Amino acid sequence: MIEIDEKDLIRCPVCNAVNINKGKNNICRRCQSSIYKHTKFRTEKSWAYLITAMIAYIPANLYPMLITSQFGHQEGSTILGGVILLWEHGSYPIAMVIFFASIMIPILKFMILIYLLISVKYPLGKDKKINKHKLFYLTELIGPWSMIDVFVVAILAGLIHMANIQILAGTASTAFALSVFFTLLSAHAFDEQLIQEHNRG
Amino acid sequence: MHIENEDDLDKIVICPKCFTLHQETPIQDGTKALCTQCGSILYRYDSNLAKNGLALSITALIFLILANMFPIVSIDILGHEQYLNITKTFLTLFDNGFFIVGFFVMFLIFVFPFLITILYIILFALLYFKVGEHISKNILVLISHIEPWSMAEIFLVSILVALVKLIGYAQIHMGVSFWALIAYVIFDIYITRSIKISEIWMLRSRVYNK
Repeated sequence: MIEIDEKDLIRCPVCNAVNINKGKNNICRRCQSSIYKHTKFRTEKSWAYLITAMIAYIPANLYPMLITSQFGHQEGSTILGGVILLWEHGSYPIAMVIFFASIMIPILKFMILIYLLISVKYPLGKDKKINKHKLFYLTELIGPWSMIDVFVVAILAGLIHMANIQILAGTASTAFALSVFFTLLSAHAFDEQLIQEHNRG
Repeated sequence: MHIENEDDLDKIVICPKCFTLHQETPIQDGTKALCTQCGSILYRYDSNLAKNGLALSITALIFLILANMFPIVSIDILGHEQYLNITKTFLTLFDNGFFIVGFFVMFLIFVFPFLITILYIILFALLYFKVGEHISKNILVLISHIEPWSMAEIFLVSILVALVKLIGYAQIHMGVSFWALIAYVIFDIYITRSIKISEIWMLRSRVYNK
């Protein structure tokens, strides 16, 4: 017979098994993965990935994402420039999709992760009106969709390469892909247990 | 809360969305248990899960192979015929010197979808024939790590976005692989999202404890 506190129950991030929080070095009893090994550096890893992602997001918006080369004349378009161009041409749904995937989702994800990382350490997020678990679940769900723009560039570059007209990927595609990659890593590195511990007091 | 030993924790389920604690209760075959707080699915009970899963994942692999064999789309631009298939998407990026993006695209739409589908086939086969207790555990852990990085469905949406951009400039013909990719994505979403990984862990404990 073991007496446990309901609040000491934690979930293994790999296999979702319920485990008892034994302080440090929790090993999942079902899949033997270690659950949040670090006791000192709990948010730092997530912060580091997040800052890297935000730095990569700057060149992703400044450099051209797509370079159209027509009869030797090269023209680049940035993410925002591409969205504006699509809007002016009247393809509103596609302009919206690109706008959401490439601008809204990354910025939203940065903001949610910054909020979560700050709120689990400082009394800012004491109010329990916002369910932080749901917020975190949402970031994990929408995160990968910002890869759309990178794939579109890859598809167009693969499809259109003739002698006269050619579409090439731009510098921003590398920066953008890296930004998405590090945002995903940051979300994965976030310790969900912190939300629980913070809510407790 | 009192429990007999740590294995009793298997009877407790935490909602994947809102983190509410639930006590697992036996449910009827083919039904599902919902979270009382947010209504998301906690687990389902399907007595034929291993058999169905094996059939579905083999079908998914067949469609994935088809999706890689033929052109996804071909366009007619100023009298030039151009086509695209999945491997060409990242090989062009390599040709143009975009190695980082090329590697990302290669892993996200080619390597990981293949890997995850094959891993699911092996996993369901092991569970169906009730062998390989240790291997199935390692495969499940591996699947949990790889799954977020398999982005075939996002690639499918990207194809549609890219084609809408080309409307007016070129004539577009859909290839066989496009339809195969749609079929693969439907099966993939069913296997990886609809069948929860915790359901497979539950199945695993039922299979090997008998």
